[in-house]
Amino acid sequence: MRPWAAAILYAVLGAITFVVCFPLLWAISTSLKPKDEIFRWPPTLWPENITFEAYRELLFGGSVASAPGAGVAPSAYFLTWFGNSIIVSVGSTIISITVATLAAYSLTRFRFWGQRAVPYIAILGYMVPSVIFVFPMFLTMVSLDLTDTLFSLILGYVCITLPFCLWLMWAFFRGVPIEIEEAALVDGASRLQVFRQIVLPVALPGIIAASIFSLIVSWNDYLFGRVFMNTMENLPLTVGVMHFFDGTHVDWALMMASSVLMTLPMAILFGFMQRHLVAGFGAGAVKG
Amino acid sequence: MTDVVVQGLSKSFGSNHVLKALDLRVPSRQFVTLLGPSGCGKTTLLRMIAGLEKATAGEIRFGDRRVDTLPPGERNIAMVFQSYALYPTMDVARNIGYGLEVRGTPKAEKQDKVGAVAKVLEILHLLTRKPKQLSGGQRQRVALGRAMVRRPDIFLMDEPLSNLDAKLRATMRGELRRFHLDLGTTTIYVTHDQLEAMTMSDLVVVMNEGVVQQIGTPEEVYGKPANLFVAGFIGTPPMNLIPARWEDGALSVAGTALPITLPAGAPADVILGVRPQDVTIVPAGTLGSIPGKVWIVELIGSERLIEVELAPKLRVTAEVRASHRAAIDDAVAIRPDPDNLHVFDPATGMAISG
Repeated sequence: MRPWAAAILYAVLGAITFVVCFPLLWAISTSLKPKDEIFRWPPTLWPENITFEAYRELLFGGSVASAPGAGVAPSAYFLTWFGNSIIVSVGSTIISITVATLAAYSLTRFRFWGQRAVPYIAILGYMVPSVIFVFPMFLTMVSLDLTDTLFSLILGYVCITLPFCLWLMWAFFRGVPIEIEEAALVDGASRLQVFRQIVLPVALPGIIAASIFSLIVSWNDYLFGRVFMNTMENLPLTVGVMHFFDGTHVDWALMMASSVLMTLPMAILFGFMQRHLVAGFGAGAVKG
Repeated sequence: MTDVVVQGLSKSFGSNHVLKALDLRVPSRQFVTLLGPSGCGKTTLLRMIAGLEKATAGEIRFGDRRVDTLPPGERNIAMVFQSYALYPTMDVARNIGYGLEVRGTPKAEKQDKVGAVAKVLEILHLLTRKPKQLSGGQRQRVALGRAMVRRPDIFLMDEPLSNLDAKLRATMRGELRRFHLDLGTTTIYVTHDQLEAMTMSDLVVVMNEGVVQQIGTPEEVYGKPANLFVAGFIGTPPMNLIPARWEDGALSVAGTALPITLPAGAPADVILGVRPQDVTIVPAGTLGSIPGKVWIVELIGSERLIEVELAPKLRVTAEVRASHRAAIDDAVAIRPDPDNLHVFDPATGMAISG
């Protein structure tokens, strides 16, 4: 490539990267500013005086357990919310992945009526916006007496992540040659051994890709958490941090520090799993 | 000592009848090839013997043991797949030893056996590699190693050489034959390549449309084809099949009488089969020859194929020395070798023994 073409390309890519990254950088910067600097005009791009006050308040500002009752600052709930988010995203991911993997395997390996239609109907279901079924689902949760429980959120997230996980695993298993399973059967392995020792290791990149998808969707969800939950102790992070708005003022430092801490687990996960994610979306390239 | 007996075996996929009441006996310790065009049912037969397909009807026995109700793992067979089907996430050593592993063989014993097989196959240095890091020929050896390590009663091979390049295929043909002679394990080998069938087998089973056409040694299926299908399928270039008329004790082809006598009871219309190697080109007018015109001449290395048109749409190929010169449209004559003629009944397709 000619130098000037490369320069233009890098300039364009740099600009796009900046636009994409700016909100995150701004959040980090704001979370580190003292309160008076947050509202200063003109704003400072990087804090003049760095303070970790917001982080200290969120992480070590005392827990609900030590000071129960009304009048507890919302920031005291932060770790509880964080825990809730982990429970519901990990829980729903485990269910989604287990069901999707087994279902996709049977859809590619056994013959039964409607076998071809299932994955397509599932992906069609995924295309329906969740706003449409969140209220019917809420009413169902009410009749099951599950509202305001983490379990209701887990079920809700399974409903939105399962179809796509199923589709992804289905596409993945279709690329796994059936001969390797037959070879294992001839070698004397049982069906279960074949699945555990031959199929699952081959499907691992697909499972990782589907897990990351499911984790991100349930970790970032706001809608279900907002509709299904109401007590402070049970909120997921996304809904909980909205309590840093209290009608009269917004605690921007807490808000931004929460955002940064919220982004962290997913960012770390992504860093570790990136390689597998690419392999997962390149499903079918496993012929050995 | 395990012979394989297949009795009345049928397989249908819906209305598609792949195997039709097939009978076959594979003698113990022999190398038997199932040969036929694609779709003839040979792979299905092999997969049924392996237990990977269920029979619609009929039974399969290994020696005295009826096996068609057993799962593949309990038949004590080993199979080499066309795609090799190596386990992609396991290294070569575990690939070879997996059959022992699932049978609970002690670790030390397993290592010894895997090592011994790897040594024979000259892949000792590859034991820690993954299948992805191997060449086609090396994968082939690992697949063979996986089959050999368990000392199975029967080897089943489904076109194991078809993914190799021509040169390696020729080498592996010889090696497979050597392994069979050394191990003496009953082997059933599926191929559509008649060269493999002819060079490696003790017995060739020629199949077409789910039916066994002929079972015989390579010499028999080549020298005494039982019917028109076998005659046309075995041999390169294929046998000339020429309509002829048998009347009043004389056989005539394209209006020319040939000094050949057919056995009593031969029908009036017959099909004469003669291999291109058994046809000589002679000057027009030679006694006992059929006149014609050179249609096309093809050089195939040390030989030359000359196609002679005897009558419209009736052409006969002769394989002659490359030094034999012929030009298109030359008037020549062909003389089939009377000792190497095959006669078939066009109504049944069966050979008329002479």
